[in-house]
Amino acid sequence: MTGYILRRLVQMLPVLLLASFAIFAMIYAVPGGPIAVIVGENASQEEIAAAIQRYGLDRPMVVQYFDWLGRALTGDFGLSLHSHQPVLQLIGERLPATLQLALAAIIVALALGVPVAIASAVKPNSWLDRVLSAWSALALGVPTFWLGILLILLFAVELRWLPSASRHVPFWESPADALRSLALPALTLGTYVSGILARFLRASLIGEQRADYVRTARAKGVPEKRIVGLHIMRNALLPFVTIVGLMMANFIGGAVVTEAVFTYPGIGRLLIQAISTRDYPLIQGCILIILIAYMLINLGVDLLYAWIDPRIEYR
Amino acid sequence: MGFSEARRLLRRLLARRGAALSLAFLAVVALAALFAGLMPLDPLRQNIAESLKPPSPEAWFGTDELGRDILARVVYGARTSLVTAFGAVVIAALIGVPVGLVAGFYGDWRDSILMRCIDVLLALPNILFAMALIAVLGRSQGAALVAVGVAGIPGFARIARAQVMALRQLDFVMAVRGFGGGPAYIMFRTILPNALSPLVVQAIVLASIAILLEAALAFLGVGVPPPTPSWGEMLRTGKSYLYEAPSYAVLPGLVLTLTILSFDTIGRALTAIIDRDETDAIHETAGGGRR
Repeated sequence: MTGYILRRLVQMLPVLLLASFAIFAMIYAVPGGPIAVIVGENASQEEIAAAIQRYGLDRPMVVQYFDWLGRALTGDFGLSLHSHQPVLQLIGERLPATLQLALAAIIVALALGVPVAIASAVKPNSWLDRVLSAWSALALGVPTFWLGILLILLFAVELRWLPSASRHVPFWESPADALRSLALPALTLGTYVSGILARFLRASLIGEQRADYVRTARAKGVPEKRIVGLHIMRNALLPFVTIVGLMMANFIGGAVVTEAVFTYPGIGRLLIQAISTRDYPLIQGCILIILIAYMLINLGVDLLYAWIDPRIEYR
Repeated sequence: MGFSEARRLLRRLLARRGAALSLAFLAVVALAALFAGLMPLDPLRQNIAESLKPPSPEAWFGTDELGRDILARVVYGARTSLVTAFGAVVIAALIGVPVGLVAGFYGDWRDSILMRCIDVLLALPNILFAMALIAVLGRSQGAALVAVGVAGIPGFARIARAQVMALRQLDFVMAVRGFGGGPAYIMFRTILPNALSPLVVQAIVLASIAILLEAALAFLGVGVPPPTPSWGEMLRTGKSYLYEAPSYAVLPGLVLTLTILSFDTIGRALTAIIDRDETDAIHETAGGGRR
């Protein structure tokens, strides 16, 4: 198992290298490049020449890339062109906020999605199933940013229960404040993910119900609750986890948009700010960090397999 | 897919209530976008004295922070959305389909190389990829269109590849090969016309994804630049006026959501119809018709 994890981590390297090179090359290809941002619009020829010299921008692209890579490997992603703070420090300040939001959203998604899936799978094509299926189609189809706006209108503007813009409050410092601040963003992102969970878990559960072992269990007189909760659930989780792994990209996209709706200070908003100010080192750092997170999540999903189904061996 | 077959498909689509409603809604949106110029609507005329008004007989959807008619901006925003979606689907199909055809037809090193590239594209969350591309190209309608289109390439490539692999050993393809048809002729003139249905479904599914992605980019402030009306941009600005004019963000969002849901509903209905046809065909060749 440890060997498998190590091998998977090593396999991530070429993809990361390729992606980092692609991002680097794209930024290099920008007309004017980072130099226009560094020196400002009204810079003289001498100032431009001096900046090119100072940042080594006159060297071949491949040389610049390996220079950047060498420093990145030691944790030096360069300085932000605007705040002049280290990129890694800026990302480090925002990362806990994003992780807290992601965790809260997953809890909401499980709490909403799993019961819906079970309730509709127990009696397929009943009126309850139809209502719940329509609900999950809505949860999937309604754009996250519009849902966020509707929730703000209801809970912040009309009822005045919750704030319309969210701050990051670490959960262990003040659980009550953290929950107040997280409630709407987590509900927004969680509802979308619960739509995914409900749709695919339902399909997976219905598929398993026709299996032989279910008939055997029924014939033996195993209580229905135990059949659904223990026998079917465990087998249905396997195809379902695969889908969830594939949908993780949507989850990350949803998180970026959700942070924007609630002006939540996470990585997604940092990236958007970096793009709008053309802060290239910061763009590069944010995209790489999100990509690494995405790949680690996928690895985590694969490891979940072993826990759900001991028959799977990792080589 | 010939004309009569398309008409038959349309009839079966209309027999489904959800799909028929979706089709009607999309027809209204498309006609409004097409004939926007003929309607007494001006998306750019400002009137600060009449800013942030609620819906009224004069302005059905109310007015925005500059006193512009929101309904007019929604109608012209439909143009932005539909043009982006159409352009993105065309880009994705023009690149994705040939890639998938070549990869599936040869199945050798060409397959490995092409599909690894597709995998890398698939590994990136598409909104992230689109944002990176826009960071490089700068903010414009063209950049948004290309970014959304490139994100759609893997879908077409995978479906085209699967279709070729299923068809290339069939008798009619072997016959063309026997008569001396070259690889390009077989791929584009023999196999492609027989693989159109799933590709058409993919185009519709991608249209709904493209509209969502374009709106999301505009909402994040990196999509089509103002003053071009765009649904995502309207939600972005409307969000700042939730207390003064709640309908500003709600109504454009409703039109956007219904458009996305409509494309999605039609895509799923078509998939169901085609799946059913295939099952029927298998039953017929097996000797026992199902109907």
